[in-house]
Amino acid sequence: MAQSAVLPADQYNFDIVRRFMIVAMVYGVLGMTVGVYIACELAWPFLNFDIPALTFGRLRPVHTSLVIFGFGGSALFATAYYIVQRTCQARLAFPWLAEFTFWGWTGGVALGVITYMAGFSQGREYAEFEWPLDIAITLVWVCYIVVYVETVRRRSQPHIYVANWFFMSFLLAVALLHIFNNLAVPTGLLKSYSLFAGVQDAMTQWWYGHNAVGFFLTAAFLGMMYYFVPKQAGRPVYSYRLSIIHFWALIFLYMWAGGHHLHWTSLPDWVSTLAATFSILLLMPSWGGMINGIMTLSGAWDKLRSDPIMLFLITSLSFYGMSTFEGPLMSLKSVNALSHYTDWTIGHVHSGALGWVALVSFGSFYHLMPRLYQTKLYSQTLIYVHFWLATIGIVLYITSMWVAGIGQGLMLRSFDDYGNLAYTFIETVEFMHTPYVWRALGGAFFVAGALVMAYNMVMTARTSRREQAALEAKLAAKLAKA
Amino acid sequence: MLDWLLWFTHMENSKPLALVLFFGAFCGIVIYVFTGKKRAKRLESYKYIPFDDEPPSDHLRSEQRSHSRKVIDNE
Amino acid sequence: MRHEHIETNSALMLLLIMVVISIGGLVEIVPLFYINETIEKVDGVRPYTPLESRGRDIYVREGCYLCHSQQIRPFRDEWLRYGHYSLAAESQYDHPFQWGSKRTGPDLARVGGKYSNQWQVQHLKNPQSVVPQSIMPRYPWLLENDLDYADADTRMRALRVTGVPYSLTQIEYDANLKKYGKEIADQLDINQAQNSLLKQAREKNFDGLPERITEMEALVAYLQVLGTMVDFTKYDEGYFAQFR
Repeated sequence: MAQSAVLPADQYNFDIVRRFMIVAMVYGVLGMTVGVYIACELAWPFLNFDIPALTFGRLRPVHTSLVIFGFGGSALFATAYYIVQRTCQARLAFPWLAEFTFWGWTGGVALGVITYMAGFSQGREYAEFEWPLDIAITLVWVCYIVVYVETVRRRSQPHIYVANWFFMSFLLAVALLHIFNNLAVPTGLLKSYSLFAGVQDAMTQWWYGHNAVGFFLTAAFLGMMYYFVPKQAGRPVYSYRLSIIHFWALIFLYMWAGGHHLHWTSLPDWVSTLAATFSILLLMPSWGGMINGIMTLSGAWDKLRSDPIMLFLITSLSFYGMSTFEGPLMSLKSVNALSHYTDWTIGHVHSGALGWVALVSFGSFYHLMPRLYQTKLYSQTLIYVHFWLATIGIVLYITSMWVAGIGQGLMLRSFDDYGNLAYTFIETVEFMHTPYVWRALGGAFFVAGALVMAYNMVMTARTSRREQAALEAKLAAKLAKA
Repeated sequence: MLDWLLWFTHMENSKPLALVLFFGAFCGIVIYVFTGKKRAKRLESYKYIPFDDEPPSDHLRSEQRSHSRKVIDNE
Repeated sequence: MRHEHIETNSALMLLLIMVVISIGGLVEIVPLFYINETIEKVDGVRPYTPLESRGRDIYVREGCYLCHSQQIRPFRDEWLRYGHYSLAAESQYDHPFQWGSKRTGPDLARVGGKYSNQWQVQHLKNPQSVVPQSIMPRYPWLLENDLDYADADTRMRALRVTGVPYSLTQIEYDANLKKYGKEIADQLDINQAQNSLLKQAREKNFDGLPERITEMEALVAYLQVLGTMVDFTKYDEGYFAQFR
């Protein structure tokens, strides 16, 4: 242990981690609030107020980009930069370049959502950024890769720990997906036409869309899990060998599954059959990760009772397991015929996004706070409060979406005794009003939890500053005496 | 002379071939990873890496080896 | 080879990851560009006119695809509700595709000709005035904003680069003439883009305002052409099955 004499805070670059974490919380609260707002618009359409920038069609990409790229992305920057330093026992390479990724990423997301509200969009889900922003993001991403990989290369540890494998696959895959999905011919500063059309364009987009989930929201967050769960539990991960298998299987299989977003469409049947097959197979590596994470706690289950941070991490893994079971189920063509185009899909995404991505990030942030600020967390009770607000919110959200989605799917395909359609489309819209209200309420619970966390973080940072000041004053007094 | 290459272009040939290749690779990895007592011990020893940069007082330290060499990539 | 070789060599690890993640996409996407049956052989599908194309831009701008799909699936209820299932050929000039992923509102793949122009204008201005239970936002500004069509030709040039057969040269024009007839060939000619746009707007007057060309004009023109290009009475019921 060459470095054990030095405090981690001096040994590593924690400043960049801290800033990305703060930005993640800001974008997170903002993005989730927009989410609640557009959920309310669906329940009470007067909230569109006839203002172009506030209509559902323009705010929805604002919501998705803020939570995926603003919150999720910044959380990944923060944890990737933290984990790579600590598992490689090397200080972050090229600090100025890391600095650039910070301003580039946060600025890119901010500009992106402003352009959406002004009506500039590529019209591709989760890739709505217009071409100048796409180029800027590519640049930032390349810098991210350079900083990350160079830090790995400077490691004082022969082995690259498993968390870093996941981050490396995420860095490469996202670059690949982003570049190919955004190939477009520009016409004017903020307008472009995608290079591909129709069926090829659809397949490219959902190859991107599904793997944005697979690598951005899954692989990278598994990397997070592989570090923070063992650290918080104080015991190593359950099985290193399982992690080898499930890593390679996961990154291989995910890339095939995108076509299940296009079942029963004009996409040729062979692609969608292939995609469905691989989606089913994907259950195994997904559960491999969940088992590895949860079983880390085997023999120390009592930590779930005493440690609220552990509660966050393990619950996130449970939601991960649930939504990776639901996913393959929905990728079956027969189930998909009912679920596709309905709110079931929305519910599924949120059980992953809120239950897995957000909870594991919150847990990791709570783990990071004392280490980054060298003080105790302001309140343990507030972590419990946050946990229950979040969990109740998720449960309300996904159950109301099951009701809305399955309900609408069944109504749309039901016939009367004479073989006519039993319901008009608008009747299904009316039916969905009640679940939409409940969904908005669930979302509000979740945002409330995030706000509690933000308060807890601010108070911790303030305590840290006060303690630091007191320490310095003491030191100064000592010096003065001498 | 290169006629045999055409064999691969037929879907009914290439599909099972791909299946055999991928499945074979998967089985190979599984067998490699989960057999051999020594290999198991060796592989499992790497899971302590996250604890390597903590003070030695950590109770985990007793169970495992430590690295202190400065290692440069193998490339 | 031991797994340790990979774990201790970052370049090897990155290389292997790249190989492993590339396979799926290569196998599923690349053939779509080469297999002939991917897009059905069918008559009638043509690129959008300058006015329709501008309408499509507005459709994308307002994010309509987030609540409306343009992709009818081969089920009985969708057949009864929306019409014949969508063909790949019908979106072959769609840059980007707008199949959508969610139906908060009904599918629009064959909405063209289903309602009158007045209905469409009234519905976009105030959906609740024609469908009281609707939760769609109102789009009054579409009637207030004049359509910006000064760059209609530049936009068509960009689309031409992506492969849409808008004509720039005489040879290209002649090819369109042979394929679609004079009226459409003129509409697809980049050199007369602005004039063609004005011509279609004046003739059809989609927005009901004869003296103005509004954004509503373009959007309704686009909605009214959706799904109308293929004449399905010309084909046997089983014809399209061979392409699936």
